[in-house]
Amino acid sequence: MISPDAGGGLTGGAHAAAVELLFGAVALPAAVTAVLALALWFRVRPSEKVSSTVVSASFGLVATAAAALGALLLATGRPMVAVECRAWFGPTPGWHWRLVADRLSIPFSAFAAGLIGMIGALSRRYLHREGGFWRFYVLLALFGTGVELVVLGGSLPLMSVGWELVGLSSALLISFFHDRPGPVRNGLRAFLTYRTCDIGLVLAAGWLAAAGSVDLVSPAGAPSPLIGAARWAGSSGWATLPVPASSSRATLVAAALILAVVGKSALLPASGWLPRAMEGPTPSSAVFYGALSVHLGPYLLLRSHALLEAAPAARVVVVGLGLATALHATLVGRAQSDIKSSLAYASMTQVGLIVAEIGVGLYVPAVVHILGHATIRAAQILRSPSLLHDRHHLEQALGGPSLTHQGRHPARLIPRRWRPRLYRYAFAHGHLDARLRRLAIPLSRALRTVDGWQRRAADRIGGAQPARPVPPGPVLRPTGLRPPVPRQPGYPPAGRRPAQTLRTIDTIALHDDIALHDDIALHDDIALHDDIAVQNDIAVHNDVTVGES
Amino acid sequence: MAGAGPVEDVSHAGMSPAATILAVLDEVADLLPQQAPLSFFVHHNTLHAFEDLPFRNGVLGASDLFGTRPFQSEQAFGEHLRTGRIAAGDVRAVLAEADVIDGDVEVVPGGPTWAEFRFRRLTTVFEIPRGAGLRWLLEEEDARHRFHPLVGQDRRDRLRDEAARRYAGLSTVGGRDAGERRGGRDRLARRGARGQAVSLEARLLGELWRALENQCPPAPPPAAPARRRDQILRRLDVDTDDLVHPPLIRLCAAFLDQGVAHWPMPGRADGLLGVFRRLFGLSDGPLDVAWRGLAEHLRTQVREGWSAEDTVVWALRELGLPEAAWPAAIQASLLSLRGWAGMVRQVELRPDQVPAHPVPGRLVDFLAVQLVLEVFATRHVLTSRLGPEVSPRELGPFGRSEPEPALALRAAGGAIDTPLVYEAFVLAQLMDAAIGPLLEPSAAGSWMDAVAGFDDRERRWLLHLAYERNYRTAVLDALYAYSRRDEPAPAPPPSPGPGVPLHAVFCMDEREESLRRHLEECYPDVRTYGAAGFFGVAMAYQGLDDARPRPLCPVTLTPTHLVVERAEDYAAHDAYRRARRRYGRVGHNLATARGTLGRGAALTMAAGLASVVPLAGRCLFPRAAEHWAGRLHHRAGVRPRTRLVIERARDEPAEGTTLPVGFTVAEMADIVETMLVTIGLTAEPPPTTTAAAAGGAGADPDPGPGPDPGPLVLVIGHGSSSLNNPHEAAHDCGATGGGRGGPNARAFAAMANHPRVREELTRRGQRLHPDTWFVGAYHNTCDESVDFYDTDLLPAGARPALRRAESALAEAVRLNAHERARRFASAPPDLDPDQALAHVQSHARDLGQPRPEYGHATNAVCLIGRRSRTRGLYLDRRAFLVSYDPDRDPDGEVLTRLLLSVGPVGAGINLEYYFSVVDPAGYGCGTKLPHNITALVGVMDGYSSDLRTGLPWQMVEIHEPMRLLVIVEAEPATLTRILREQPGLDRLVSGGWIQLVAWNPRGPDSYLYVDGTFRPHEPEDPRLPVVARSADVYAGRRDHLAFAEVAGMAAADLHGPAAHDPHAELTSTVPAGHVG
Repeated sequence: MISPDAGGGLTGGAHAAAVELLFGAVALPAAVTAVLALALWFRVRPSEKVSSTVVSASFGLVATAAAALGALLLATGRPMVAVECRAWFGPTPGWHWRLVADRLSIPFSAFAAGLIGMIGALSRRYLHREGGFWRFYVLLALFGTGVELVVLGGSLPLMSVGWELVGLSSALLISFFHDRPGPVRNGLRAFLTYRTCDIGLVLAAGWLAAAGSVDLVSPAGAPSPLIGAARWAGSSGWATLPVPASSSRATLVAAALILAVVGKSALLPASGWLPRAMEGPTPSSAVFYGALSVHLGPYLLLRSHALLEAAPAARVVVVGLGLATALHATLVGRAQSDIKSSLAYASMTQVGLIVAEIGVGLYVPAVVHILGHATIRAAQILRSPSLLHDRHHLEQALGGPSLTHQGRHPARLIPRRWRPRLYRYAFAHGHLDARLRRLAIPLSRALRTVDGWQRRAADRIGGAQPARPVPPGPVLRPTGLRPPVPRQPGYPPAGRRPAQTLRTIDTIALHDDIALHDDIALHDDIALHDDIAVQNDIAVHNDVTVGES
Repeated sequence: MAGAGPVEDVSHAGMSPAATILAVLDEVADLLPQQAPLSFFVHHNTLHAFEDLPFRNGVLGASDLFGTRPFQSEQAFGEHLRTGRIAAGDVRAVLAEADVIDGDVEVVPGGPTWAEFRFRRLTTVFEIPRGAGLRWLLEEEDARHRFHPLVGQDRRDRLRDEAARRYAGLSTVGGRDAGERRGGRDRLARRGARGQAVSLEARLLGELWRALENQCPPAPPPAAPARRRDQILRRLDVDTDDLVHPPLIRLCAAFLDQGVAHWPMPGRADGLLGVFRRLFGLSDGPLDVAWRGLAEHLRTQVREGWSAEDTVVWALRELGLPEAAWPAAIQASLLSLRGWAGMVRQVELRPDQVPAHPVPGRLVDFLAVQLVLEVFATRHVLTSRLGPEVSPRELGPFGRSEPEPALALRAAGGAIDTPLVYEAFVLAQLMDAAIGPLLEPSAAGSWMDAVAGFDDRERRWLLHLAYERNYRTAVLDALYAYSRRDEPAPAPPPSPGPGVPLHAVFCMDEREESLRRHLEECYPDVRTYGAAGFFGVAMAYQGLDDARPRPLCPVTLTPTHLVVERAEDYAAHDAYRRARRRYGRVGHNLATARGTLGRGAALTMAAGLASVVPLAGRCLFPRAAEHWAGRLHHRAGVRPRTRLVIERARDEPAEGTTLPVGFTVAEMADIVETMLVTIGLTAEPPPTTTAAAAGGAGADPDPGPGPDPGPLVLVIGHGSSSLNNPHEAAHDCGATGGGRGGPNARAFAAMANHPRVREELTRRGQRLHPDTWFVGAYHNTCDESVDFYDTDLLPAGARPALRRAESALAEAVRLNAHERARRFASAPPDLDPDQALAHVQSHARDLGQPRPEYGHATNAVCLIGRRSRTRGLYLDRRAFLVSYDPDRDPDGEVLTRLLLSVGPVGAGINLEYYFSVVDPAGYGCGTKLPHNITALVGVMDGYSSDLRTGLPWQMVEIHEPMRLLVIVEAEPATLTRILREQPGLDRLVSGGWIQLVAWNPRGPDSYLYVDGTFRPHEPEDPRLPVVARSADVYAGRRDHLAFAEVAGMAAADLHGPAAHDPHAELTSTVPAGHVG
């Protein structure tokens, strides 16, 4: 089932070890996710200690495996090891899953697994006695699986599987506290952004497949003459996505990839979801939006650097988007008065810069920048609830109330009469939401029209009766039909503003029905793991769908 | 668009509209949360606005207003009944009053008596689903025709019999028996019999349902709308608050910001409304469609110079609200975002409690902004949903009289109160009532009335009383038993104790109860006292490191003196300050750089990966990581030796403040005298004869400095420090206004040691032995560290005593940590004291730990009296302990003072916990995990929400919500007199916000204050387990524990209620402990 790839060029024991390590790095987290999820499905709740230890230890093992692979690569001087896992159910002989360990994926894989392992250990204390403890760990493991798939994936389709897992777990963790409307709304917002932009990844995969291959191409050239850590720094030393022969096709593929990156890494103009994502438990915010999730975009760009080099126009777009995002985020971030939004924009600033670095070809600095930024930001978000404590100590050390940032903000660089406008730009998050809404409303209307045509066509072909007209009026008003939710500590009382959640979802369903069906799937997923409150939500969703369709 | 303009005068009870607005606002502001910015957190009664009402009415009124829960849920009470936390006797006792009146009257003919009905109803908890849940139950599960699962087999059989008699005239029981006798041979016949029984019972139950349904009162009408938003929500299912709140939240956060944003909001001096007009009045920018026209309108407001009140009046008229509806509309609007509104109000009222930069916040500005946004949101929604030119007036009038069409539509589905029918239906099955008579309309009507009259709120109130009664009885029984225990054998102290008398004054905080007990166990010669933790020193304090002074006294006082901590050596001070500032600058630059563009990039690229090490440390080895971080921190300069400036040198205030520095000698003597008298620590002049007899040489009026050191008096303040805890200040000392009480203890010790203060005290007749030395200390209740102040000043003779005291405290702190650790579910149950200490330390220092300590959780009792009467009693860290000696307070003056300070403080702490437990989301601030510190003044849930006030769930999860049981060692008559003289206190006690008990100073009896009189408590189970050490009570257990006697500890106490031992008096030199 697992077969070596010719590109590895390793032999004997080393080869077998490499294969096992690489395969294990993806399979272990996947297995852990599956086991935990199954246990929850059957309402078996292992102790907090067991669940957290299993998750943390498995990611610790993955990090070790990645480190061992790195050592193997170093020792043998190979640029890349690949494993192919031929699926027995594959429709064609060409269908395979391919994993790649090279100088790019190894550091990322080890870093991501190590970080997830650490956060897993920390979260055992953080989420102790929280209702969704197990759900959190399932989602964390799912996220880790997704990240490892993206990082170690040897072909674009496989990477996009990981990419989707990351998006799904991310949205589910944003709406972790699904008894309040805010998290659910913001989780849907993130999910919607992801799904819209992920079209880019699917398109890219399709176009690449049409152009020949979706597999990563091993780096050219012989083993580097350098030794030790310096070997990692060889700039073209990692596998890249194949470059289509025609330059216009290359530009098209690059543009599609950029679309995917825009969503995942919250670049302009889709950046509004990132501060809104700070709804989940603090550790998940740290690992997703400080450290790993937002950096997957730059990682994808690093993987496709050959493609970017072949499409100069795309590079210009990348640099432009990166710089614009960095400028926008640093400006908006400085006016944020809550710590998590402030950190979200700080994160966005650096991600924008990193994207710009990749655009101009500073690949190795970009890698260093990503890893350094991920670490620092994760630590900062974890520390954010201690802000008052830290402020107090800092203020004491400085010996005076000199902690204002008066005079340090960019406003001093611009003429006085523009400052109010600039501040308002920052205050209103660059009016991005209003602009996007303007764009989204006609789009949504158009999609609904197309959907209508499609249904009618399908009905005609299928010979079905024309759909019963939906009665106008309060069909979408399941208000008050909701059974009382047995309250858990920390949950709002049953019956308080019962209309809130429903109304929110209605609104979203009305305005953004692009992803309506996915949303329902999303909520079903939550329901697998948790309590009655969610099941009520599903009931509501079903009502909504019925009303809609 | 802005056509209306600020309108001409309309008199409202003789007031201009603007004045009406302000008057309404003042009333409504009381309903807003009174929580100060988080660094000034002080516990207070969440329902302070309802304190004029009796407790029950207050919580029910608030429940209606805020949509919160008044008591624990019925399920929770059901659980308490199941576990025995509420005993049947408690339920009977709380029902006794009503039962006297009509207990033996039958509710329905042939049915249960009222007494039985009420008892069964209280002790039977079953779910009454509503809405879709109920419909499912009735339609899909056919609950109308089936027995409720709780109905027992006997009752089922009897009802089947009844059904059989009623419909068929034959006994189903016989049929069933016959079927069973035939065994397996004739299953078909048996099934037939059973099927017949089922159909009969179904018929009976169905008929019962119909009978009850016919007598059901109509469903309660929905609440009348108070705002246009409510009407729009009902009619159009759109919430205008979803449009209004996000910008309003962001605006308030930016306006109140104390230093989160690098770029502070410009022009905050103009107030919230001014800032709003400028920001939203800018001409360009693709603002949200909802705000179309807003900018022009705001510019008109500016041009015409509208005041905030004008703006509010304009907006209310624009919303088409009649003037009579204004107060309700204003109240509902403010309450819809009450956290933020309350914070703006706090900033307005207490500008001194703002962490860094006072901002000119005004509630009327907030209201004006909110209403202006509401006007535009309403216009937008009406225009887009109903078409242009629809004015808000067309939404209909306000008030209950006009049922809205949408509501009528909904009500058509079930105009009757089906849940009530279901409840009555299930109860009829459960209670011992014949169903037959119930089918008569009159009986069914009575039954419905009985069920409806004994509603959920009434039941929960009674269960709450039973819940409180259970604990109160246990406490009073324990005190009774402990007072009556066999007098301890006059044995010598159990261990060869140091034999040196030691006095230790603690804060009254219930967290110090266990520390005091453990100290008494390890050091039998200690005598401990409890007092409000500011020790009478009401001051503004500026420590060596502090940027500005902060008040360290109860919030009800305003400090009039400043106390400053100064280095003894100016050179060392300067060096220290320079080093600290360097360190601070590096830290500040790093913190800033991480958030910025260029510097952030440089930092993350250069040093980012290196921070994996601290991150891994924080995640995996939190205690060690914080230890190393602390080491690094302290490397930044050696803290010089400091002293407090407590004596006033000159009369003018220090620069930069308005307060005089230091106290005069007379003021200091007052403070020291008051405190010593209050807690009963000074000698009664002159020494009594018993003292002379027992102490011998101790009565020497002017002893020379002998070889024995004089008694040492420790004064121990407390506070708490923790990471990952925005509510850090909530764990500090409430008596210092949410500050840390160490400086107060230090200042008090310095005052009491002051030679001229001593002289002054002697002149007043309060003699302190010349060798008596006071030492201030600070106890960190989170990581269990104890620091001593100014020990270098100690006379050589007292040093050994201090060393012994230090080691005893170190041991006591370990045991205290051991006792605390049992409450943490994360701590294994078999920790030894050292491991327990490490465990609680890691709670203080872990970034991933949302439960640094449980704070005041589980507080339940406040004991005001002599320690000798409770010493040796295991109180489970649940009792505030206030020292008070009734023998020395014949006229109750000291007691009045104590009650006036302890009553409200204790009630504030206790009630805040109460409300945060009974409704963690409505009164508390929910789980800590998504909390997001905003503007350095409060926390939001996640990205954007109302400011969350109250306590987080992680802090209160183990608390038992009961009203504070204040037990005062005093005659009932004294207390009655004090209550009569102090209306504020009477409001708390008679209103039932606290429970008051008088404990006979001379006997074991106690008297509970009920309805204006003290009723004697009848002990129910006056037995007390006896253990050798505290650890024997709690080891291996996590739950709440009953009181117990720790054997032998009281024996060391030589100071019984009747006879004063000279040992206690600081005037004696030869400690009686040596003699005994």
